[in-house]
Amino acid sequence: MQMMCRRQPDGQLRREEKQEMARLVDVIDVSKIYNPGENEVRALDHVSLSIDAGEFVAIIGQSGSGKSTLMNMLGCLDVPTSGTYMLHGMDVSHMSDNEQSDVRNREIGFIFQGFNLIQSLTAQENVELPLIYRGVPRKQREQLSVKALQQVGLANRMDHRPTEMSGGQQQRVAIARAIAQAPPILLADEPTGNLDSASSREIIEIIKRLHKEGRTVILITHDPGIAEQAPRIVTISDGRIRSDIKNPKAG
Amino acid sequence: MEYIKSAFASIMENKARSFLTMLGIIIGIGSVITILAVGNGLKHTVGGELNEIQSGGITILIDAKKTDKYLTGSEVRAIGEEVPEAYGASPSVTAYGDLIGRSTESGSLKGGNEYTLYGKKKELADGRYYNETEAESGAAVGVMSQQAAVILFGTTDAVGKSFDATVGGQTRSITVIGLFRSEEKEIEQAYLALRGKEGVYAYIEVDVPYTLLTEGFNLSGANIQSYQIFPYPDQQDAAALTARRLTENRLGLRGENAVTIQSFASMLDTFSRILNVVTLVVAFIAAISLLVGGIGVMNIMTVSVTERTREIGIRKALGARTGSILVQFLAESSMITLIGGFLGMLGGYGLTFIVSKFMSFPPRILLSDVALVVVISTSIGLFFGIYPAYRAAKMNPIEALRYE
Repeated sequence: MQMMCRRQPDGQLRREEKQEMARLVDVIDVSKIYNPGENEVRALDHVSLSIDAGEFVAIIGQSGSGKSTLMNMLGCLDVPTSGTYMLHGMDVSHMSDNEQSDVRNREIGFIFQGFNLIQSLTAQENVELPLIYRGVPRKQREQLSVKALQQVGLANRMDHRPTEMSGGQQQRVAIARAIAQAPPILLADEPTGNLDSASSREIIEIIKRLHKEGRTVILITHDPGIAEQAPRIVTISDGRIRSDIKNPKAG
Repeated sequence: MEYIKSAFASIMENKARSFLTMLGIIIGIGSVITILAVGNGLKHTVGGELNEIQSGGITILIDAKKTDKYLTGSEVRAIGEEVPEAYGASPSVTAYGDLIGRSTESGSLKGGNEYTLYGKKKELADGRYYNETEAESGAAVGVMSQQAAVILFGTTDAVGKSFDATVGGQTRSITVIGLFRSEEKEIEQAYLALRGKEGVYAYIEVDVPYTLLTEGFNLSGANIQSYQIFPYPDQQDAAALTARRLTENRLGLRGENAVTIQSFASMLDTFSRILNVVTLVVAFIAAISLLVGGIGVMNIMTVSVTERTREIGIRKALGARTGSILVQFLAESSMITLIGGFLGMLGGYGLTFIVSKFMSFPPRILLSDVALVVVISTSIGLFFGIYPAYRAAKMNPIEALRYE
């Protein structure tokens, strides 16, 4: 199918234009195969998934279901073995390492399970990191990082290092880092996995608020309780999408 | 700028380890600086001194271990007149003793003939040098510096005055017939010393006819085993070779290698050859030390890259390009070696300062040496940082993020 599109450049062009208008994320028939050959592992098996701008989607699956591979793919950390991934109208499935770095920097704000803050930097310096790689001048960087930290309620912890903060606070710094330069997509991978229930609620509330403010949020989790917070739930197992439902209970 | 800041922060994070890593670089650069400073100081001082006497004669030596033959004063004069590339030749006889003027000073009487004047860079301020007749007749006349005159007579107006010289228990009265010009400062210092104030102790040298020493004081008879030849400008080598050949012919010492040339040029040559060997040895040690230091930096940087795998993963996930990671780690490794280089430079200067206390010349520290240190240490850091930095830059972000 991909081959056919290539042979008909006109058709593909029209398709891309259309996507740019509505679809933010368009995963088309993507497979990811590890160890090709006898012991091959099909982590993703012909997956197709579209997400529009402004949506809040939870992707739920057990460990080994392929959700981490999907998350790496969506986050431009990995490229598919076959199929096409259109992000913001760009085909990112065949990009070089450096091009992928630029796309990640511009398009995606990551929120990880393990927070992934750099221990030797202060909260503010951590938030500034993606801005540095984007080439934002220092003054503007400071303004943006202060604003982002205020949004997560950590304006009074700017000069603290990760070791001086609780898990919930660290995850809020990570969220500030993800939203500092206002990327179109927030990609949260088990954001509450390492937190107690009070902190978890706090983080989910912040994520929901960010969604209400107009951001696109993709939340990856194994916990149905967390997934239920999202208006759309995609279930994945054995590398295939099993269901994709609207969730009226969310809100 | 951000890279430098973050590299510095990372070095400070682990002060002890960073310092130990730097040690090889510190020792290497320290020894480079020390040898450069000492070498430059030595060259400068000796070079200056040699320049001062460069126009002086070339000494021809008859080796007493190989032959008991010798020349007489008139034979030396004859050889000098036969050498086409030289003004002439003069015996050189030196005697040490007490010189008695206003006070008694120790000093030396330097015996020569009228050609000796060609070996002097100093100019006569007053009076004249001794002539051929005086040189060969044992006349009790002498020429000294204005500074020496102040010490012996209390005045620079000393031509015609006499002083007693005691050498080997014999005393003769010597009349001053000429004065070499001294610098104002030297004269002033002599006056100060005279008034018992802080001044410079000056060793007094008096030029006298060699016959005054060999006959007047009856020293060593007329046996002359070394003399000086005074070449025309730029004819040093030719003059020396001709003089040696003539000497060998006269004494029947051909092919016995018993007559040797000792020019200041050849002394300088020998000196700088020795200095070059010393420099080479130290440079070799320094190079090994820098190499070992560089490998140490590479080692520690590799460990650091592994330890910070997760950080690298985070940075890549946030949009760091391969080049950014590469530059970050190169900045860190070259910062380590640059700081090491500066510490080594300080250490080297300290060592140089201590060394100079035991030597009679001041060390010289050149700006170009500092520039050299900056260039060398930075490039060591860059070179030995390439491998670990490349490893860091090429990491797969997914695996790096998963690293515990």
